[in-house]
Amino acid sequence: MKWFYRIFSIIMAILFAAPLVWMLVVSIKEEGMKIITVLDWFKPPYSFAVYDEILSGTKLTNWIVNSLLVAVLVTIFTVLFAALAGFALSKLPFRYRTLTFFLVLAGLLIPGEATIIPLYQVAKDMSLLNSYQGLIIPALASPVAVIVLKSFFDGIPNDLLESVQIDGGGTWRIFTRMMLPLTKPAMASMAILTFIGSWNNFLWPFLSITDDNLFTLPMGIPTLMSQYSEDYVKPMVINAISSIPIIILFVIFERQIVKGISMSGIKG
Amino acid sequence: MRMKKGRADLQALLFLLPFLAVYGLFTIWPMLKGVEMTFYKWTLIRKMSYIGWDNYREVLQDREVWEALWHSAIFVVFTTPTMIVLSITLALIANRKSVLQKFYRSIFFIPSVLSVAVASYLGLFVFQPYTGLVNSVLHLFGILPEGSELFWLTETALAWVAISVLTLWWTVGFNFILHLSAIQEIPEEIYEAARLDGANDRQMFWKITLPYLAPITRTITMLQIIASFKVFMQIYIITGGGPLDKTRPIIQLIYQTGFKKNDLGYAATMSYLLFVILLILSVLQYWLNNRKGADVR
Repeated sequence: MKWFYRIFSIIMAILFAAPLVWMLVVSIKEEGMKIITVLDWFKPPYSFAVYDEILSGTKLTNWIVNSLLVAVLVTIFTVLFAALAGFALSKLPFRYRTLTFFLVLAGLLIPGEATIIPLYQVAKDMSLLNSYQGLIIPALASPVAVIVLKSFFDGIPNDLLESVQIDGGGTWRIFTRMMLPLTKPAMASMAILTFIGSWNNFLWPFLSITDDNLFTLPMGIPTLMSQYSEDYVKPMVINAISSIPIIILFVIFERQIVKGISMSGIKG
Repeated sequence: MRMKKGRADLQALLFLLPFLAVYGLFTIWPMLKGVEMTFYKWTLIRKMSYIGWDNYREVLQDREVWEALWHSAIFVVFTTPTMIVLSITLALIANRKSVLQKFYRSIFFIPSVLSVAVASYLGLFVFQPYTGLVNSVLHLFGILPEGSELFWLTETALAWVAISVLTLWWTVGFNFILHLSAIQEIPEEIYEAARLDGANDRQMFWKITLPYLAPITRTITMLQIIASFKVFMQIYIITGGGPLDKTRPIIQLIYQTGFKKNDLGYAATMSYLLFVILLILSVLQYWLNNRKGADVR
């Protein structure tokens, strides 16, 4: 039985790794090779020539930079805005607090996909189509992040706040000196999930961007692929170049990513 | 915190303002704007004429709409149960003590960080006839006889299999981690006590592990149904909705109606139909979560 488990586990791992290994191996083959059996993919000669060609002859690196830039800015501002709002909803007494909370909660029920057509019209009216602002700003309000961070602020006892107040600290100081440090892990988790979400966001860039200098990766890749459909090498090089930065990020932040996802599940 | 009422309100407003401004402009306002659009013949250059309830009447009788909704539903039905089983299986594998434990954890998750475009094109090439990875491997092991090919992308049933397999591979990672962290929270003593009572591995799985995973599995199931209903990109790349629109999901139809057929008003009306369906699912999810609120922790 133990052997069965072991072999089964290894087969699953191979199935999961196979497409990625294949992608990397094909990407370092020479173009125009004859493939008769699957083993032919793995035989030499190898060459990085196509990597050079794609990196210098296309806008792929440009699009990777766009994707990273958009994802970083969206992440920073989403988490910041959500922390500010979550703090107000959790710790500041004000009129209409319950109403505001329900307004945010309602946002969880609104699927972005269902409002994408009017969003296009609104962005058009505001001249946000085909711009970095248009890629970034509409993505900055995340009701999920507000609700999750609010519940973490809820966990901090009010007595602690009052002690800062007695020392003469204002609300802003309480927020920056006490609340933010105490909820750092939650903030990091939201940041990672927001980053992955933005990195993978397809529908909005697809509709709102037509200038290929502003493409993000999910849009740039199909554009490139449509030019190279006969051979496998160029497409796999494009895939490999696009995946390597995010896989490196994953390896660096693996622990935080796993923690972040576990946390989102608890709140799910 | 005590303050004069007016000042407290102002202060809270300042904290809420950045979020509320974006939320209002790009979530709430489009939602209301969309209602207006559904009552017009509304095109990309915005030449519009009021047509009353025509869009609504049309959408309810539109065979293409119901077919596309049906395709999205098929996708949900294909992928959700397999997703749950796969996710729990992978979590069990990665939870067992072994020298490969760290490797398992990484390899099951890594596909999830790939861009949707990369994952979809990998799928497209992996399922290609003649030279694709899957058919080549099937030939190598003699499962697929020499000279015959499976046309994954041009036969409706096979296309659904290819799309589903690719999606499972690409997205199981998140659910896998949720299940794994839930498994790790099951107290070890319970297993020890069961072992003392003579329970075997299978009994412990069915009587301890699975019941402990029930709350998170319920959450995952609902989130998965909602997410799968919104499928678009991988199908768009792998089959383009074909053959003969037989795999076209609702989001693709909305996109094509709005931007290819230049009928934003009608597309908006379709998206409200989708909205209603997703709303019912979300409310159901909330209700399920809160009814058993305690065991979701």
